[in-house]
Amino acid sequence: MEKRKPDAKITVFRIIIVLLLSLLALQTWRLQIVQGEESRERANRNRFRLVSIPAPRGVIYDRQGRLLVRNIASFTVSVVPADLPPDREEEVIQRLASLLEMPVESRLDSEPSSLSQSPQLLGLERWFRPGIRDLVEEGRKTPFVPVILAHDLPREVAFLIEEEHLDLPGVVVQIEAQREYMGGPLLSHIIGYVGPIPEEEAESYLEGPGSDYKPHDLVGLTGVELTFEEELRGRKGRKHVEVDVAGREVRTVGTAMDPQPGYNLILTIDLDLQKEATDALQEGMTAAGSQSGVVVAMDPQTGEILALVSLPSYDNNLFIGGISLEDYQALKDHPHHPLVDYALTGQYPPGSIFKIIGAAAGLEEGVINRHTLINDPGVIWLPNKYAPDDPALAQPFRCWLETGHGPLNVVQAIAHSCDGFFYKLAGGYQDFTGLGLPTLAYYARLFGLGSPTGIDLPGESEGLIPSEDWKRLTYGEAWVTGDTYNVAIGQGYILTTPIQMLNATAAVANGGTLYGPQIVREVRDAEGNIVRPFRKEVVRQLPIAPENLALVREGMRAAVARGTGWRANLPGVAVAGKTGTAEYPGPRDREGKLPTHAWFVAYAPAEDPEIALVVFVEGGGEGSVTAAPVAARILADYFDLPLVPSGP
Amino acid sequence: MRRAIQHFDLLLLGATVLLVLYGIIMIYSATYLSGEGGQSLWDSFFARQIIYALAGLGLMFLATTADYRYLENLYRPLYILTILLLLLIPVVGRISFGAQRWLGFGRFQPSELAKLLIIICLAKYLSDRSLRIKRFPQLLISLIYVAIPMVLIYLQPDLGTALILGVIWLVMALMAGARLRHIAILAFLGLLGTPLIWFSLEDYMRERIFIFFNPRHDPLGVGYNINQARIAVGSGGWWGQGFGSGSQNQLHFLRVRHTDYLFSVLGEELGFVGVLILLLLLGIVLLRILRVADLARDDFGKLIACGVATMIAFQAFVNIGMNIGLIPAAGTSLPFMSYGGSGLITLLLAEGVVQSILVRHRKLEFR
Repeated sequence: MEKRKPDAKITVFRIIIVLLLSLLALQTWRLQIVQGEESRERANRNRFRLVSIPAPRGVIYDRQGRLLVRNIASFTVSVVPADLPPDREEEVIQRLASLLEMPVESRLDSEPSSLSQSPQLLGLERWFRPGIRDLVEEGRKTPFVPVILAHDLPREVAFLIEEEHLDLPGVVVQIEAQREYMGGPLLSHIIGYVGPIPEEEAESYLEGPGSDYKPHDLVGLTGVELTFEEELRGRKGRKHVEVDVAGREVRTVGTAMDPQPGYNLILTIDLDLQKEATDALQEGMTAAGSQSGVVVAMDPQTGEILALVSLPSYDNNLFIGGISLEDYQALKDHPHHPLVDYALTGQYPPGSIFKIIGAAAGLEEGVINRHTLINDPGVIWLPNKYAPDDPALAQPFRCWLETGHGPLNVVQAIAHSCDGFFYKLAGGYQDFTGLGLPTLAYYARLFGLGSPTGIDLPGESEGLIPSEDWKRLTYGEAWVTGDTYNVAIGQGYILTTPIQMLNATAAVANGGTLYGPQIVREVRDAEGNIVRPFRKEVVRQLPIAPENLALVREGMRAAVARGTGWRANLPGVAVAGKTGTAEYPGPRDREGKLPTHAWFVAYAPAEDPEIALVVFVEGGGEGSVTAAPVAARILADYFDLPLVPSGP
Repeated sequence: MRRAIQHFDLLLLGATVLLVLYGIIMIYSATYLSGEGGQSLWDSFFARQIIYALAGLGLMFLATTADYRYLENLYRPLYILTILLLLLIPVVGRISFGAQRWLGFGRFQPSELAKLLIIICLAKYLSDRSLRIKRFPQLLISLIYVAIPMVLIYLQPDLGTALILGVIWLVMALMAGARLRHIAILAFLGLLGTPLIWFSLEDYMRERIFIFFNPRHDPLGVGYNINQARIAVGSGGWWGQGFGSGSQNQLHFLRVRHTDYLFSVLGEELGFVGVLILLLLLGIVLLRILRVADLARDDFGKLIACGVATMIAFQAFVNIGMNIGLIPAAGTSLPFMSYGGSGLITLLLAEGVVQSILVRHRKLEFR
C-alpha cells in the first residue's frame, strides 16, 4: 500500500479536458443564447414557404366557338440530386436510363431520340444527347432544385416510374399543364406561342408592380399569347406550406388562396375561312412560283379580322417547352423566314391599288369630278425641272398599256388601272394642276398608311409615306414631279404593309370609316361570362364626301366587272376590287422588266360589303393574273358560290 | 474478487450508460420519429443501437474481469492483427459514403477497433521504454509505429480517424515522458511538410477546410451541412424546441443526423440545458478515466487509460466542434452517442479495459 503522489502530467491533462469542455459549452451558449433569435428565424425560413398555385392559362376559340388552343397534361421527370442516396445513385440512374431511353453519359448520336422530335438535321451531323449522370452532376450545384430529365413523357412511362417510386428515391414525376396548338401552322402567326421569359425582359416581368411571375414561368412570346398575356394567364393562387428539405410539402398552414384561371379568348378569326385562304394562297403562290404571300380578310363594317395568313408558316407546337436548337436553326435559316408575319411586317410598294387613294383625294380636293376626262397618251414626256425646254432631258412615264387608254373619267381609270390618268392627277401636266405630293401624302395618311394599324399583334411595321423633306434628308435631293408620278401609281418611295392596304380598302368599302383592325372578338372568364365585349374601334371618320367614295367604289366594281380584276368576278355576288402589280428592285427578266409583286384588294358584296380582303404574292407577277384568282376562290368559298370566273 | 469489485467505478459506468441511453433516445428522434426510410421499429437504427449497446456492455464486463496484463504479452500479434484488418478493407470493404470503411461481414468498421488496439500496443511499447523515450530516435520509432496504421486509415480515406491516431500518439508519448522539445522539432518538420499534405488531401477534405473558413460560400453545396447544423443548434435556445419537434431534424434539413450531426439534433430539441447535461456526463467519464490513469499500478495501465481518455476527448471535441462551427467537418462521430456498432462497442470495450486496470490497481489484492 504505497502512497503515490499524483502525476503532474495527468493533472495538466485534466485541466485541458475541463478547458475544452468549457470551450464547447461557451460556443454552444453563444450560438443558442446570444445568436439564438437569428438561428430560429433562419430555421423558420427553412421550413415555411409561400408557394404559388399555378393558374390554368385561358384557352382560345375561333369566332364560331371552335377550340384552337387548349391545355393538356404533360408528364415531366426530374431528379432532386440531394435526395439521391449516394449508395443507390448508380442503380437509380441505370434504371432511369432504361425507362427513359436516355444515355447514362452524354454522347453524340446519329439517331434522334424518341422523346424529342427533331425533324431536320441541318448542319449538325449528330444529335447531342445529354446523359442522365451529367445532368445530375450539373444539378448538384443546387442540389434541392429538381433537374428535369425529360419533358412530355408518354403516359405509360410516367405511370411506370410512379409505380417504382420506392426503388427510385429522388425521382419526381410532375404533371404540368402544357399548351397544345391544335391548328399548328394554320394559326401560328395569329396565336403565337408561349415559352420561358426572355432574359432581356426578365426584369419587367419579375419586378413589375404586383407581378406574380416566377423565373421559370412560361409567358406568351408572340401572337395573341403575347398581346393578351395578362388576360390569358390568370392569377396564381398562394398558400403557406411547411416543407421538408426536399421541398416536399408536409402540410398547408392556414387557408390557401385559390388561383384565378385565365380568361378565354374568342378570336375574330373564322377557322374555315382561314383554311380556305391558306389553301387558296398556297395554290396561287405555287402557280406563280412564289415562296411567300399574304391574305388578310376583314369585316369592313367592324374591323374584325376574319382570316390572316402569311406564308410560309411554322408549327408553333415546336416552341412548347423550349424549341430544340436544330428546329430553331432550321426556322431561322429558312430563306423565306417562316417566323415573320408578312401581313403586318412586310413593307412593299402598293402598286396600282394605291390609285384608290389618289382617286378619292382628287375628287375630294376638286382636282377632278366624276365627269373630268384626262387623256392617257401611253407615254408622258415630263420636261426636266431645270431645263424645261430641252426635250432631250425630258423623262418618259409610260402607262402599262403602251398604246394608251385615251381620255377617260375616274371610274374608267380605276377600272382599267390607267397609269397616265393618275400621273397627271397627282403630279399635274402642263396646264393641268395636279394634287401635288403634300396633298396626296395627307390623304394616304388619312387612310392609315405610314403608321401601324394598331392591331393586337406584335411587331407591326409603319410603312413609308415619303415627303419632300424626307427625300432631301434621306437622299440629299430635291423632290421632283417624277417622284410624285411614281407615288401616284404606288411606286417609287412609298411602302405599305398588306394590312394597311386592307384597312384602307375597308374604309372605302364601308363609306369612310377607318376602323382599327381587331383580332380578338371577346374576352370571357372561365365560366363563359363576357369580360370584354366586342367594341368597334374607330380610328377616324374620313373627311371625304360619301358621293366621292361612292365613285371610287364604282370604279372598283367596274375593275372586277369589266376591268383588270375580271378574274375575281363571281356570278352571284358583286365583287369590287383593285389589282396591283408593284415593281421592286430585283433581277430583271428577259425583256428587261423589273420583277413585280402581285396585289389585289377586294370587297363584296359591292352594294353592302361584308368582307374585304387583301391578297399579296411576293414576286408573283401580275396582280390580275396571280392575286385576283386567289381572292376569287376565297370569296367563292365565303359566299358559298361555284368558282366560275367570267371574262371581261 | 469481492475486494476487487469494491474498486469498480460505478460512477464511470453510470455516466457511460446514461450517455449511451441519451444517444439512443436522440437516434430515435433523428431517425424513427423523423420518418427515415419508413422502417419498422424493430428494424430501425434505434433498435439496432440498443442491441449494439447491450453487446458492448457485455464485452465491457468481460474485459473488466479479464486481467489487462495479459495484453502485454499479446501486443505483437495484436499489432499484426490491426494491420491485417486495415489491409483487408480495400479487399472486402464495401463502399459507403465514398469511403471503404466498412468491412464486408456484419458491416464491421475495423478502423474503430484499430484505435483501441493501437492504444494497447503503443502503451506496451512506450512503457517498455520509459527512459529511452526521452531520446529522439526512440520517439521517432514510436511515431513510425503509429504512422503505419494511420496511413492505411488515411488511404481509406478516413482523415478523421487517422487524425485521432496521431493525437493519441502525441498525448501518450508525452505521458510516457517524451520531451516537449522533441515534439516541437517533429511539429516543425511536419509544418515544412504541410504543402505536401495539402496536395495529397482528397478534394472533399480540402473543400471542407475551405468551407470552414468561408461558411457562406455555396450554402446548398458543401457548406450546407455546417450551416444547417449551426442553425439547428442555434434555434435550440435554453430548453430546446422539444423532443421530436426540432424542425431542422424532423424535416431533414440536417443530414446524417443519426451519426455526425446527432449533437445538432440534441442541441435543437433539448437546448442548452440538454447540451450541458451531455458535456457534464462526458466530463465525468473523462475525469474518472484519468483517475484510473493516476491510480494505475504500472505505466502500461496508466498509458492505456490516457490513450482511451484522449480518444474519447478528442473525438467528442472534434465532433461537437464541427456541429457548432468551431472545427471543419471531418466525419467523426460523437462518442457513446452516435449511431454505429463498431464505434460504440469499441468504446465500451475500451472502458472495460480501463475498469480492469482500476480493479487491479492494488498489487496485494491479486496474485
